[in-house]
Amino acid sequence: MKKFITYALCIGVAALTGACQGEHNTLPAQFEQLEVSAPLYPDYTNIVIPPNIAPLNFMVMDSAAGEFVAQFQGKGEAIVTGDGKEGKIQIDSTAWRKMLQENLGNDIQVGIYAQHKEGWVKYKEYTLKVAEEAIDQYLSYRLIEPGYELYRQLGLYQRDLSNWNVQPIYENNREYSETDNHCINCHNYKNYSTRDMLFHVRAKHGGTIMIHDGEPHKVQIKDSTILTAGVYPSWHPTENLVAFSTNKTGQTFHLFHDEKIEVMDEASDLLLYDAGKNEVTHILRSKTQMETFPCWSPDGKTLYYCNANLDGKIDVDQPDSLVTMSLVYKYDSIYYDLMKVDFDIESRTFGEPQMVVDAASNHKSITVPRVSPDGRYVLYTLGNYGQFHIWHKSSDLWVKDLENDTCYALRKTNSPDVDSYHTWSSNGRWIVFSSRRDDGNYTRPYLAYFDKNGQGHKAFMLPQEDPESNILLLKSYNVPELTTDAVTTTQESLHDCIYNTEGEKSKYIKQ
Amino acid sequence: MNKKKQARLSSETKPKEPRKLVKLPLIWIFFVAVWGWASCYYGDVFRISRDNSFWVPDTEQMNFVLNCHNGWLWYLGRMFLAMFRHPWLGGLILSLMLTVGSWLIQYCLRLSPRFRWCSYLPSLAYIAVVSYLGLNIFFETETGRLLGIPLLIFAILCLCAIVVRLAGRKDAPAFCGIPQDETMRDNYVQLAVFGVVLALCIGFVQWQRPYVRVICKMIVQNDNQDWQGTIDTAHENAELSYRPISANYAIALVHTDQQCNRMYDIRLEYDSLYLSGWGTPVNNGNQLYIAECDFHAGLVETAYHCCMERMVMNGPYIHAMELMTKCALMRSEWKLAEKYLAILDQVPFEGSFCKKYRPMLYNTALVNSDDEMGHIRLTEPMHDSFENMYQKPTFLGYNIRLYEGRSVNALWNSLATCLYTKLMPDFVDRLNPLNGSIPPDNVADGILLATNKRPGLDKRFQGMDLRAQRLGSYLEHMQPYLKDRPAYARQLFDKYKGYYPYYYFFGNLKATKKSTTQASSNSGVN
Repeated sequence: MKKFITYALCIGVAALTGACQGEHNTLPAQFEQLEVSAPLYPDYTNIVIPPNIAPLNFMVMDSAAGEFVAQFQGKGEAIVTGDGKEGKIQIDSTAWRKMLQENLGNDIQVGIYAQHKEGWVKYKEYTLKVAEEAIDQYLSYRLIEPGYELYRQLGLYQRDLSNWNVQPIYENNREYSETDNHCINCHNYKNYSTRDMLFHVRAKHGGTIMIHDGEPHKVQIKDSTILTAGVYPSWHPTENLVAFSTNKTGQTFHLFHDEKIEVMDEASDLLLYDAGKNEVTHILRSKTQMETFPCWSPDGKTLYYCNANLDGKIDVDQPDSLVTMSLVYKYDSIYYDLMKVDFDIESRTFGEPQMVVDAASNHKSITVPRVSPDGRYVLYTLGNYGQFHIWHKSSDLWVKDLENDTCYALRKTNSPDVDSYHTWSSNGRWIVFSSRRDDGNYTRPYLAYFDKNGQGHKAFMLPQEDPESNILLLKSYNVPELTTDAVTTTQESLHDCIYNTEGEKSKYIKQ
Repeated sequence: MNKKKQARLSSETKPKEPRKLVKLPLIWIFFVAVWGWASCYYGDVFRISRDNSFWVPDTEQMNFVLNCHNGWLWYLGRMFLAMFRHPWLGGLILSLMLTVGSWLIQYCLRLSPRFRWCSYLPSLAYIAVVSYLGLNIFFETETGRLLGIPLLIFAILCLCAIVVRLAGRKDAPAFCGIPQDETMRDNYVQLAVFGVVLALCIGFVQWQRPYVRVICKMIVQNDNQDWQGTIDTAHENAELSYRPISANYAIALVHTDQQCNRMYDIRLEYDSLYLSGWGTPVNNGNQLYIAECDFHAGLVETAYHCCMERMVMNGPYIHAMELMTKCALMRSEWKLAEKYLAILDQVPFEGSFCKKYRPMLYNTALVNSDDEMGHIRLTEPMHDSFENMYQKPTFLGYNIRLYEGRSVNALWNSLATCLYTKLMPDFVDRLNPLNGSIPPDNVADGILLATNKRPGLDKRFQGMDLRAQRLGSYLEHMQPYLKDRPAYARQLFDKYKGYYPYYYFFGNLKATKKSTTQASSNSGVN
């Protein structure tokens, strides 16, 4: 037995020695100062960060170096951490949290050292500015392959932004089953809280899952007058109401183009769903106008949405197949404007549609309007055409300042690739959005500071414990949504609701 | 009488001794036989199974397997399957597992020498099941099962053996030598059992699944860009008529610029494959070749699309990721190619692939100078359009509608497709660039066939007279057979192999079954 313990100890010591080889946690005494920035993945240089964000672990992509050391210096004690050849800089969480708290509103200087054959070099330093305003603690998203038509394993997940915890909200059938295959999408919350939330289930066990205080139930928002079930949702901030778009959507695939997929609506309308009474009615319904992406203002008195005017472009009275063909041939000349309608909460009636941003006149197209919590800004995606900007490289984040009626791009935040599906934090100081800037195909959630002057700052990727994980992950992050609290419903109760209930059919109220 | 004579006489008078039989080291013979089966005979099938699988040590990346039922077992099964990148290595491991497993059965069950043949049955049953399943061992299924199940049985046997050893201190039967307790009969019964069953399995594959090894071999050859090897394999098996064989053959012809000369050297009747898959009652195995055909036809985006859909349904797998890497390189999506290379870098034995393609990142000239990709580049579309505008499969639909190509290769592809689909008006529409030249054999025959409806068409080309004479005599000879073409197609193949007018009248007569792989319940806008 003694022999065994001795052997085990020897092996343990040898393993530890091996593991520590190549790691260097002290700053080199001598080094050459370089004038270039370190090649980092993800790029965390010169950004504003929330004081409650998890450590910004990164990789130094310098294949010529054998060892790396990074120093984070703010007020108080510095953090020094290193790695061997892989160059993965993984910061101790406790030290990181302490550093952020000590440096609220201040800068942290980051110096990166790499050991080349000729000796140590130090890359140009960069700063991390710690904002005073925190970001909402939870980020929920869907993980799905950037697929074209098919789906298999997908799920909704919730990440605690202050650490590495990820909890599945709901995962579909893990194994292929003709009787159980279903897709889930369009998760949405009321007022940044998970107390009221919803998502859709498509295909088998289909319906809309409404969750109140952790209790899920299924509804079928259908009627012969409604194009399809509800699609893009927006919870009313004070009432038990949800505005949905209802979209007849098709897609087609490019043969030789920078963009791979073109998703087009053939028709779309807006619905108002009363979650308390399970009643649904049309808000806007027209053959020549395609209304979509509803979004309530924080006071609940205005509903913003996007609208494409087909009048004069497409003969909507043709047979459906011809309308579809016409739309396919004119896919790059369908433009969506930003519109709004007033809403009277008492009478639950809507006013007349009003133009907010006329994008079509400039041959541009607006999608996904989201109003800031203070009601001053509408953040939207502007692209060259169409409504599915998540596949349009031209798509960028823009803001309409409702106070002074100006529109501008968030230039520091945007990238040459897709930037879309954005959301505000509850304090209005952070935005989170999906971007394909990493590799042009797989969307990753990016966070950016939105300052008091209405300017977006440089965006940075959601940090991961292993910084390489976003390279290795073969799924996209869809529809990032921030919430202040964690989802309380369990996977089991959602599974039970989805599999074992048919869903109550909503009553259609004719206007 | 001299001594020599005496010796001869004595030898003649002595009764002949019966030839002495020797006992054989059966465990070792079994090991070698299974190794040979798994590496030489079925090696390409295991290799393709491995390419349709994915394994990396990182459990996070393998979550798509691990979070399924028995995920850990499939994870381990995939790990062992990864060794089949080199069939000799994978075969060695599999053979060791099956052989030691048989030996452990002898040990655990304390089999008397008389019944020792029973110990080989589970291993032989495994070989029989693998042979029976054919392509289904990897096609739209959990590839971890292939080695995961024998691994589980092997692990159970190991545990049993430990228990038996601890409980009974029983001596193990000989593994390295020849068991002393076996009689000659026992020894030869065992040999006969596994010899016969193994032969039956091979016979079953040869007679009932003859396409399995051929398809896999051709895929491996095309992956290795051994185009001539693929063509030779197709010719050696010209009687076999299955879509994946034709598809791989066509790819090799495209790369050797023979698509308008030699496409009809093999039968193109398309017998049914024994296949099952994701909710597909009818499956013609198009997932085995569509992405590859799109890619080699220059439809790189469409190939990427197909690969992605396959990855969505089957989970990541090596072959698709390799193809997607090439697609990304060809479309100058460098970061995307880098991503796939980073992933492949973690897959055992994929280092050579990464080593070959990594230098091409951010280097279009190097991509274009690659033999395979450079050739494909010549047939890329000149303008954008939508896949949905073309008849499926897209590599055929697109080429039927092609009006503008970036090289003469695009014209050959288009003409070959029109001939294959027998769409003669479309074929004739594309002949103008060949005016005044001597067309390739199949094109010339197609022109002569089309001349019936377009008198004078053949006058636009040179060297048609001899072929016209042959066509004339062929048509004359064909008359009695035209009444019942399906019945005579097979009979006439040997005589008219390689001759387009034979294909035109007797080839590919069955209606093309549309694939139902993309089940409606699993598709939509994501």
